[in-house]
Amino acid sequence: MVNALAPQTAERAAPSPPSAGPAVDGRRRGRRRQVVVAYLFLAPTLLFFAVFLFLPLGFALLLSMSRWAGFHLGDIDPVGLDNFAGLFADGSTFLTPVLTNTLLFALGTVVLALAGSVLVATCVDRLRFQGLWRTLYFLPIVTTVVAVGNVWKYMYEPGGLVNGVLNAAGLGSVAFLQDPDTALPSVVVVQAWASVGTAILVLTAGLKSIPESYYEAAALDGAGQVTVFLRITLPLLRPSLLFVCVTQFLTGLQSFALIIVMTKGGPGDATAVAALEMYRQAFSYGDWGTASAAAFVLFLVVLVVTLAQLWFFRRKGEDA
Amino acid sequence: MNRRRFPWLSYLVVVSGAVLTVVPFLDMVMTSFKGPGEAGTLPYRFLPKAFDLSNYRAAFDQLDLPVLFRNSVVATALITGSVLLTSSLAGYALAKLRFPGRDFVFRLVLSTMMFPPFLFFIPHFLILVHWPLAGGNDLLGRGGAGLTVSVVALAMPFLVNGFGIFLMRQFVIAIPDEVLEAARIDGAGEFTVWWRIVVPQTKPVVVTLGLLTFVDAWNEYIWALLVSTAEPEVMTLPVGIQLLQDHVDPTRTMPIVMAGLVLSVLPVLVLFLLLQKHYVRGIMLSGLK
Repeated sequence: MVNALAPQTAERAAPSPPSAGPAVDGRRRGRRRQVVVAYLFLAPTLLFFAVFLFLPLGFALLLSMSRWAGFHLGDIDPVGLDNFAGLFADGSTFLTPVLTNTLLFALGTVVLALAGSVLVATCVDRLRFQGLWRTLYFLPIVTTVVAVGNVWKYMYEPGGLVNGVLNAAGLGSVAFLQDPDTALPSVVVVQAWASVGTAILVLTAGLKSIPESYYEAAALDGAGQVTVFLRITLPLLRPSLLFVCVTQFLTGLQSFALIIVMTKGGPGDATAVAALEMYRQAFSYGDWGTASAAAFVLFLVVLVVTLAQLWFFRRKGEDA
Repeated sequence: MNRRRFPWLSYLVVVSGAVLTVVPFLDMVMTSFKGPGEAGTLPYRFLPKAFDLSNYRAAFDQLDLPVLFRNSVVATALITGSVLLTSSLAGYALAKLRFPGRDFVFRLVLSTMMFPPFLFFIPHFLILVHWPLAGGNDLLGRGGAGLTVSVVALAMPFLVNGFGIFLMRQFVIAIPDEVLEAARIDGAGEFTVWWRIVVPQTKPVVVTLGLLTFVDAWNEYIWALLVSTAEPEVMTLPVGIQLLQDHVDPTRTMPIVMAGLVLSVLPVLVLFLLLQKHYVRGIMLSGLK
């Protein structure tokens, strides 16, 4: 994965000898034309990245170290690291419950999605109609978060499907999204439900790459299914498992669309996560400085996880 | 593994998982047909008493669906078209043209993929508000609402995609140099080479990238929410439906919300079912989501 990202550095053209006739002149003109054409083809892309990547990054960094209530750009008031200090000051909700919620949300999603996808992927591998199952498990992924969030919110209602099933089983109703104790786990279930399809896809591909001969050898040795799963499937599936873990964890750290749709961070701060806090600070409270600082803190967390992942995969790559 | 015995346990796991996955969708469809007072009341009933289409009619009335649809379609078309065009052109340049700074530009494209989207919501919004000479702004971007009043604002931050460029480059590289060289010797310019050879040769990956981009753009919520809070005229389907559900008593309007959701989910679902292989391949290639 990492190696595939390395740019091709092969510059095959040897420098042509000077004054070697009109053919070379023509080729050289062709080269010069290629340079112009290349930058022409890249112009929209480079322009876009300048305006929508580098300018915003600089702007966000500036805002994170300023006090600003919006409106006039001239009113941006530099305050150094005050915004960052404010986030971690006594009485700030950023560390607890917001960052804690973020980690719990990401972690919960990973655990649930991983457990579900391992179970389904290993079972699907033995069945017919694999395409059909894959299609079904994939439906949530192509569905807008507004649909996913609202349908589940409705299913969690006192008169909704989930409580309907609980009541039919003789259990009492649960106020899933209204009770601060159950709100976060309830949202985690939905996020895991929505992401399990991708995980199944990755794990199925991983399973397919395990040589059949390993299983045959194990069968000859008389190994039971549980032993085969623990001793062959799981260890050989480790790269795929790790990949699913890290990507789902990163997605979980950044996600807040589902929470906006379902709970808006409530009740109280029970489902407030970092990206949502950033969004609210800016667009609800007009505190753009604190919002930008929160964004960079979360970015730092994401970056650390990403680098740890790269480091880990690179080390693994050396063994292989 | 043991494939001879009937794997009833596997079937049990996979089928119950599939039921868990599909039931919310069925609940959405069933609720969209329920009459007044039928949804969200105890005891819970899965099926509607009658398949009543009035919620769909109400969705058209209360949601201004044609406008929402138009905005969603325009934004999605702009994003998909632009991503395909810029990715193909840049991918070709990075794969097959020789020019100074190529490695640097390629590394730059790769580096754009590591920045998480939430970092950009605030600055993108401010940049569009202060866009010079648009929406009543002066040359320095002061005085008006900038580009946020236009449907274009919905698409702007998504017009170029680093992953798209990377993906196209990886596939263009596989085209043999001889084919391109032959066309050049026949007098074809680089633009002709791109349009006549590179684009047709990369058609499968164009479909994959187009589909991924389409689905993401159609389903996008947060940015569209920001833009349409500033300017309700440019509201998209997801934002409009969410607004309805936020502002009216949910138990009463839930069937209407569900009807709107069914209509908004349908185009993507149909496209996904038709082009499933391409989409799945795209998810594998991107490895994310």
